[in-house]
Amino acid sequence: MPGYDIYVPTDLRDALSYLDDLGEATSIIARGTDLLPRLRRRRASAASLLDISGLGGDLRYIRSQDGSLHVGALSTVSDLMESPLIGREMELVREAGRKFGDPQIRNVATVGGNICSATSSEDLIPVFLALDARVKLLSLKGERALPLKDFIKGKRTISKKSGEILSGVELGPLPANSGSAYEKLGRRNILIIALVNEAVVLTMEADRETVRAARVALNRVAGRVPQRASAVEEYLAGRRLGADTIAAAQAVLSSELDLKNDFRASGEYRSEIAKVYLKRLLELSAFRIRGT
Amino acid sequence: MALSKHFVTMTVNGAERSLHVDSTDSLMDILRDRLDLKSVKDGCRSGDCGLCAVLLDGKLVNSCLVLAAQCRGSVVTTLEGLVEDPLMKVLQQKFLKYNAAQCGFCTPAMLVAAKDIVSKNAKPSEDEVRLGISGILCRCTGYYPIFHAILEAAEERKP
Repeated sequence: MPGYDIYVPTDLRDALSYLDDLGEATSIIARGTDLLPRLRRRRASAASLLDISGLGGDLRYIRSQDGSLHVGALSTVSDLMESPLIGREMELVREAGRKFGDPQIRNVATVGGNICSATSSEDLIPVFLALDARVKLLSLKGERALPLKDFIKGKRTISKKSGEILSGVELGPLPANSGSAYEKLGRRNILIIALVNEAVVLTMEADRETVRAARVALNRVAGRVPQRASAVEEYLAGRRLGADTIAAAQAVLSSELDLKNDFRASGEYRSEIAKVYLKRLLELSAFRIRGT
Repeated sequence: MALSKHFVTMTVNGAERSLHVDSTDSLMDILRDRLDLKSVKDGCRSGDCGLCAVLLDGKLVNSCLVLAAQCRGSVVTTLEGLVEDPLMKVLQQKFLKYNAAQCGFCTPAMLVAAKDIVSKNAKPSEDEVRLGISGILCRCTGYYPIFHAILEAAEERKP
């Protein structure tokens, strides 16, 4: 593996100063589950790494505040799965956690790392997209926040400015009568890159029959980055969620998806699975809202 | 190319160890080559096989995917540090009974994972055992003996 220098900051401010000085000349490393294998396979290079793994005091937290959930960038997938603050309406977070990597990876892989890696194989991204996540970015100049869907620009491309560090994400708040569900298909169940990874967050009107808002996110809609399926979302809003509506939504999803073939699966196969999952996830989310 | 050295103090199997490590050293490299803890197997170096699994601050991790320089102040436990553990003794007996070690290469990681599963959850379900060892590859594919050994060890340990 090519050599690199590791800078270990004394605190968050020191890390930000270092980033401010070096800018693009340094890469941030949290727990390294994505970066280290890529460095070893020479798919990534870095002359300098800024090691933020010791900043857990500032960046590893899960807090509930004004109905929203604030998750620090250094929180691990296991931290999320074990948190009592993840309510029933956010069941999809636990479901995604159980299908994420394997137990050893879940114990180290971080929320911030998953987001910043920004590929269609980062299982948390569709989950956070469906939860309307906002990312918080910190620099010496201060803090800014932007929607996750605007933060992810393309495969491994994020709109993080030089000198900025992703400090955390904010999820929700979800209105009353909300439910969620998640599905992932890979060639095996554990430690596998998803062919299809789909997340639904459904909010119903008080009648628990009419869709107030449906948020649907997939690891790929068009191209190779996780996105929201906005045509399906628009179609579902305001409709009564019955078998006809779901079937029609599946057709809308089919026309919205523009998936290419690759060595893992054909675009056609992925689209078919995405359609099946849409039905399953809408029904399960509705079930979770209605309780029957 | 710059290659920084880091002075790291960690507790390994109960003993405090201080060493200078290279920025590219993984925890696995240090455990095997500097501290001679050969139960930690070097399988894939990319987090795919799980054979280098150890407990880092009480959590099961792949030591090949952890940078040694990041282990400042950490508590690391390998199989060598668990041999006197009462639960480990039961697990080892059950692994023998079920012939759960075929070639033996995954056995240390399986035992550490088994200890992690049963110490977190005294009554693991079959699924919890399966999922608990799901990140460790046995290329002899002898998963059933391992699975039964862990289940029976948990059963026997119940008060």
